[in-house]
Amino acid sequence: MRPVIVATNVAKRYHLDGQDVHAVRDVSLAVLQGEYLAVVGPSGSGKSTLLTLFGGLDQPTSGAIALLGRPLQGMPDRALTRLRLEKIGFVFQRFHLLPVLTARENVELPMAEAGLSRGARNARARELLDYVGMSHRLAHRATQLSGGEMQRIAIARALANRPELLLADEPTGELDAATGREILSLFRRLHVDGMTLVVVTHDDRLAADAQRVIHMLDGRVVG
Amino acid sequence: MTWQWAVRDLMRHRTRTALSLLGVAIATALLFDMVLLSGGIERSFGQLLLSRGFQLRVSPRGTLPFDTEATMDSVTQLVAALRREPGVAQVGAVLGTSAFAIRAGRLTPLVVYGVTPEAQGIYQLDRGADLSATDTAGVLVGAPAAVRLRIGIGDTIRLAGRLDPRIATAATERRVTVRGTVRFVYDAKDQPSIAVALPLAQRLTGKDGKNRASFLMVRVADGVATDSVTARLRISHPATSINSIADMMAQFRLRLSYFRQLSLILGSIALIVTVLLVGTLLAIAVNERIGEIAALRAIGVSRLTVLRQIVLEGMLLTIVGGILGVLLGAATAKWLDSILTSFPGLPAAISFFVADAGQLTFAGITLLLTGLLAGVFPAWRAASTPIAATLRSDAP
Repeated sequence: MRPVIVATNVAKRYHLDGQDVHAVRDVSLAVLQGEYLAVVGPSGSGKSTLLTLFGGLDQPTSGAIALLGRPLQGMPDRALTRLRLEKIGFVFQRFHLLPVLTARENVELPMAEAGLSRGARNARARELLDYVGMSHRLAHRATQLSGGEMQRIAIARALANRPELLLADEPTGELDAATGREILSLFRRLHVDGMTLVVVTHDDRLAADAQRVIHMLDGRVVG
Repeated sequence: MTWQWAVRDLMRHRTRTALSLLGVAIATALLFDMVLLSGGIERSFGQLLLSRGFQLRVSPRGTLPFDTEATMDSVTQLVAALRREPGVAQVGAVLGTSAFAIRAGRLTPLVVYGVTPEAQGIYQLDRGADLSATDTAGVLVGAPAAVRLRIGIGDTIRLAGRLDPRIATAATERRVTVRGTVRFVYDAKDQPSIAVALPLAQRLTGKDGKNRASFLMVRVADGVATDSVTARLRISHPATSINSIADMMAQFRLRLSYFRQLSLILGSIALIVTVLLVGTLLAIAVNERIGEIAALRAIGVSRLTVLRQIVLEGMLLTIVGGILGVLLGAATAKWLDSILTSFPGLPAAISFFVADAGQLTFAGITLLLTGLLAGVFPAWRAASTPIAATLRSDAP
């Protein structure tokens, strides 16, 4: 199995309200292709920061991260953006769908950005909405959907450009238990289909489903 | 999807967008009117001067036609001399004076133009027959004079010149028959004017009018450069002022320079207001959507796409507001023109608001660039959003 993410002595420090915050300290780990990794820990332990570093949304203060064999440090913004567009799918706690677009248009958005034709986008969006069980809602705007429905659309959007890695930050955090279970089962299915998953979560059920769980405390991996 | 997305983004806050559109429309209407006003009266005046095809005016030295009551003497000789000049096709004299019409025992004051009928450039015949050079018993009347005197073609009136109001006795009196009705090109609205042959106008003026004229109109022969004829006439007739249309336009431009300054200032204010309105609306929209924008950047939407999307929203506001503004501006220009052209002494044919394709195109492009400029800063802010920090601060 080739490594999808390789983090070596990664640290992230930022300045907040006049104080230095050591969000991530000396983290080294590798995530292999097809692996389902859960990152757990209390609030402020650095889980989400680690996820943003893996996704190239921020640069580490020290250490190195390689994504699919490509070092992220020093990579120009344009190349990083392209990498995220084509190789990484993001799922957020707050879904972050565009409320003015329909479910189908939200899913099509990354494909339009990647330059896919209208026909190809449309077909892929329908296929993905079907995959997440939302084909009956494709013409509804995000504002007309429930939390669970929005998260399923967000997952479909994350899969739009056939990424090699799915990063999810508290994907069940805003959902009730029943809806959370639906998302859980969707992630399980993605893993079975071969997707590499890194999920930051407080949700024990979600963590229990993962192949590997790492625990973080005060920015360090403690187990 | 880009346009739809921009439209829907703007429609998130309908009232706010509608108010902004109204603001842009008002600013555009102001800009539109100022563009029309800045050169409108000048263009209109130029068209008026050239409307009868006489390119030069010869007036008493140091004056402009109709500008003073000064007259030139020995007009017959001057006209003959000018007609002999190479490049001159036609010369006509005009004497402006006043007289009274006596009809049914009532005195009606009139403006009288003495003209050389075969070479005149101050009226256009509407109905009836024109005068002939020797017809000192005929008169042409403009519509206001005809209405006021209740006369038509074939009617007779008595014209009295140099009337002494104390004893109500005219020094000169003449019975004339209406030959036709005309439209006086340079007349103000409702100005009661008539045209008679030059000799009759001179007689009505009395001994002061003998062989005199207020100004001459010169038509330059086809294919001859007006500038060269102007230069030659200035040398050969130094006792007069030879005014080309360009000279008169320059004088006119000088006198109305405040119109252009006012237009420039108000037009600039309109553009600044547009930038502020559109820029403020977009800045507010970006602030509200900053988490959404950071998420878009996270999923791989490029800075350029974000930038383009925000700029597009600004352009949409400017274009739609601009279209509404042009309609509003056209309506207000029509209304303001009716007020301004009713000022006494202005030729009725003058318009203050005249469209010029070049200027309007320039204003339109400037407006679009303004909309673009207004969107650039908020768009740049949106595109430069630090993704991780914004998502962190947007987290519950």
